[in-house]
Amino acid sequence: MAQAPAVGPLPAVALPRATRLTLSNGLEVVALRRDVAPIVSAAFMFRSGGACDPAGRAGLASITAEMLDEGAGALDALGIAAELEQLGADLWLGSGRDGSQLSIQAPRETFPAAMAIAADVLIRPRLEDADWRRVLNDRRTGVVQRRDQPEAVVNVVSDRILFGDGHPYGQPVDGLERTLDALTLDDVRAFHAAHYHPAHASLVVAGDIDAASLQSELEARLAAWKPAAPPPAPKALPWPQRPRLVIIDRPGAPQSIVRIVAPGTDRLSPDRPALSMLNAILGGSFTSRLNFNLREKHGYTYGAASSFSFLRNAGAFAARAAVFAESTAPAVREMLSELSGMRERPITTEEHAKANATLLMRVAEGLATTGGMATTFGELGLYGLPLDEPMRFVAALQRTTADDLRGLAQRYIDPDAACIVIVGDRAMIEPGLRELGLPPAALHNADGDRIS
Amino acid sequence: MLTIPFDTFVLENGLPVILHVDRSSPLVAVDVWYHVGSKDESPGRTGFAHLFEHLMFMGSRNAPYPAFDAIMESWGGHNNGTTSNDRTNYYEIGPRNLLETFLWLEADRLATLSDVITEEELERQRKVVQNERRQSYENRPYGRAELAVPEAMYPPDHPYHWPTIGSHADVEAATVADVRAFFERFYRPSNASLVIAGDFDPAEARKMVDRTFGWQPKLPPPTRTPQPATPRLEKDIEIAQTDRVQLPRLRLTWHSPALFAAGDADLDMAAHVLGGGKSSRLYRSLVFEKRIAQDVFAYQSSQLLGSLFQVGTTAKPDHDLDETSAAVAAEIERLASDGPTEAELARARNTHLADFYKSLDHLQTRADLLNHYQHVLGDPGGVARDVARYEQTTIASVRDAFARVAGAAHLDLRISPESAAADAPVTA
Repeated sequence: MAQAPAVGPLPAVALPRATRLTLSNGLEVVALRRDVAPIVSAAFMFRSGGACDPAGRAGLASITAEMLDEGAGALDALGIAAELEQLGADLWLGSGRDGSQLSIQAPRETFPAAMAIAADVLIRPRLEDADWRRVLNDRRTGVVQRRDQPEAVVNVVSDRILFGDGHPYGQPVDGLERTLDALTLDDVRAFHAAHYHPAHASLVVAGDIDAASLQSELEARLAAWKPAAPPPAPKALPWPQRPRLVIIDRPGAPQSIVRIVAPGTDRLSPDRPALSMLNAILGGSFTSRLNFNLREKHGYTYGAASSFSFLRNAGAFAARAAVFAESTAPAVREMLSELSGMRERPITTEEHAKANATLLMRVAEGLATTGGMATTFGELGLYGLPLDEPMRFVAALQRTTADDLRGLAQRYIDPDAACIVIVGDRAMIEPGLRELGLPPAALHNADGDRIS
Repeated sequence: MLTIPFDTFVLENGLPVILHVDRSSPLVAVDVWYHVGSKDESPGRTGFAHLFEHLMFMGSRNAPYPAFDAIMESWGGHNNGTTSNDRTNYYEIGPRNLLETFLWLEADRLATLSDVITEEELERQRKVVQNERRQSYENRPYGRAELAVPEAMYPPDHPYHWPTIGSHADVEAATVADVRAFFERFYRPSNASLVIAGDFDPAEARKMVDRTFGWQPKLPPPTRTPQPATPRLEKDIEIAQTDRVQLPRLRLTWHSPALFAAGDADLDMAAHVLGGGKSSRLYRSLVFEKRIAQDVFAYQSSQLLGSLFQVGTTAKPDHDLDETSAAVAAEIERLASDGPTEAELARARNTHLADFYKSLDHLQTRADLLNHYQHVLGDPGGVARDVARYEQTTIASVRDAFARVAGAAHLDLRISPESAAADAPVTA
């Protein structure tokens, strides 16, 4: 067939039918049925994450999450692990910037038993000293090992510089050695008491479930869980001054990890749908401008991308690529030029249509697994958004014109105001960067501390 | 009973087609496997199967570069490909209205790629692949160790001796003539299988397959080099490496039974008992009780021509590899002599079975599983047979299979942090 086949219209994307339940302790529950595989995914979302870490004690939220399944109810740490394996259940605990999460995924038959363990973990964690000392030591070692991973290093350093150290989003969620050393088990107990309660949480259950019996099952498991007053919300601070160029030296590195970061906007911003489209064109798809230029045209990298992160109180823009060390300066030049291009070069009809379809189908794919459903609806719970928000997002995409996108690019994409953070071989890359007209680099170590 | 429902038929030209209908969301996935991997490369052209995979996105006669990606992304579809020792796969996922487009794009490159490939396109993807090697191995902690394992475990004339990513020199040496020869030999309908999964009408899909793939000529399956002798190490090998890491790591590797051979499932169970999660023996001993290790791992990496069984651990600060190595050896010894407990085996089996269930949730994973069983067993319905072999494992079968593997010679690879001295320039 020489001729490309005709393509019919895009299918409509519909939300799965969601059943809302409110338990007697106030916990809001969303139940979604999907019976393609005989499994159930559930996600408890708590509206407190790393942004709630007290000053100087970064890592508290995430290490609290990690401590909860180190012994709870009748089982010790290894007992919980063994029982979950017996059930074929996965349990995951962790924290992001804005929230902490307990997720389980289990076969339909063992889901109630896995939920019983999850309830113990949330309501009756042991939080014992011997486990604390082990977990803290493992975390401390993990934070040391983070220095081995250039992608992790660039994340830590970019956030510290973009948001600033005093900002709730400035410190790494996993913490730094010195902030972990400041933590005590009493901090963990207090964090658990203040943040892990049903009035501060939401639950999504998705999969091969019987919604009719779910309410009574959950009541039985979670009855002992009492609500409490909401903890104080962290406050955003103004954006600090940022340097133009930051280098974290990695002598001999065969690639440079390049991140160009700038302020973005928050999760509730009305600009979010259109910014997502703008990003699909710039660096959020394979045929995006950044990837096409850096990977396909120049061969500088295995892949270049960009993203907006939309958080509760603020957000960030980042363009990223891991580039051949010798190509660092030309790669940075091309990245900056693509950022300028978003403001200067017209957005084509094809780009506009692609952005629309890409995001529409991303919504559809996000709803096409039980885990994706739990994540999608869990995020709505985390930010207190209505259950039809994905459809509002889709409708907003369809209203957004190429002119709207150009207007947004003027407001949100400013290459001259962005900060360039590079993990790479300083001696090799610095001369080329200077030839681009960039000022001398501020030097930071792999934890993000300024060293010159 | 665990099943993935499907219908299957074979085109005149030898292409097996497998249809799996799932109308739970308005998506389709197309998944094509070619029975060619890095094991089919020649020395001096290592990394070629994977480089070739990249070239499959560089345009075909009726869909010149960059139409492959541009067309599907304009409708919200996306795609990728992966290459292993044994096979190469390509897949597309997107809205159901793209089904025939996906098939057409796959069929057009199968029919015409070698007519249109140019030196310029080869050069472009050469650079991309070299950056993939740097990103995935060279600039990644402990990544260079992964490249060292196959080289040490297999003799130079064994097709698993080189890593799938290849060497920089070989990737640079590849020519357009190599591309054409590889394409002519391995990219033919009789050496592939096609899965369509998702929201479609089977009768319509069949017509689309006929239109796009059906006219392509029938060619016999490629001739293969004879299966190499089962490799074994004559004696233990020790390798010491340095890397840009904070903590030393131990990595032990043995030869083990091939994918689906007797013992393969037992070794998956043994790996789980040793290093699969927090209730495993190595975690309990080294991380939880002795606190001499930051992490442990154990896995059976199953492949067609023979597998590798790998065990490893990263030492805590102030602990060394002699200490962790002794603790690992004690657990290996114990498992080889006593086998798992009933409870351990039940946990390993349940976890494995539940992982099967979980893998069925995702459309493209189901498509890939159907092709996996077609590739290995010649039967897309192999999932039942696969699950059964885990259900049949016993304490004795796991013990015996593990004892046979661990009783043979092995590779002891130790990765240490680069010292200041190692950073100093080398002078001849």
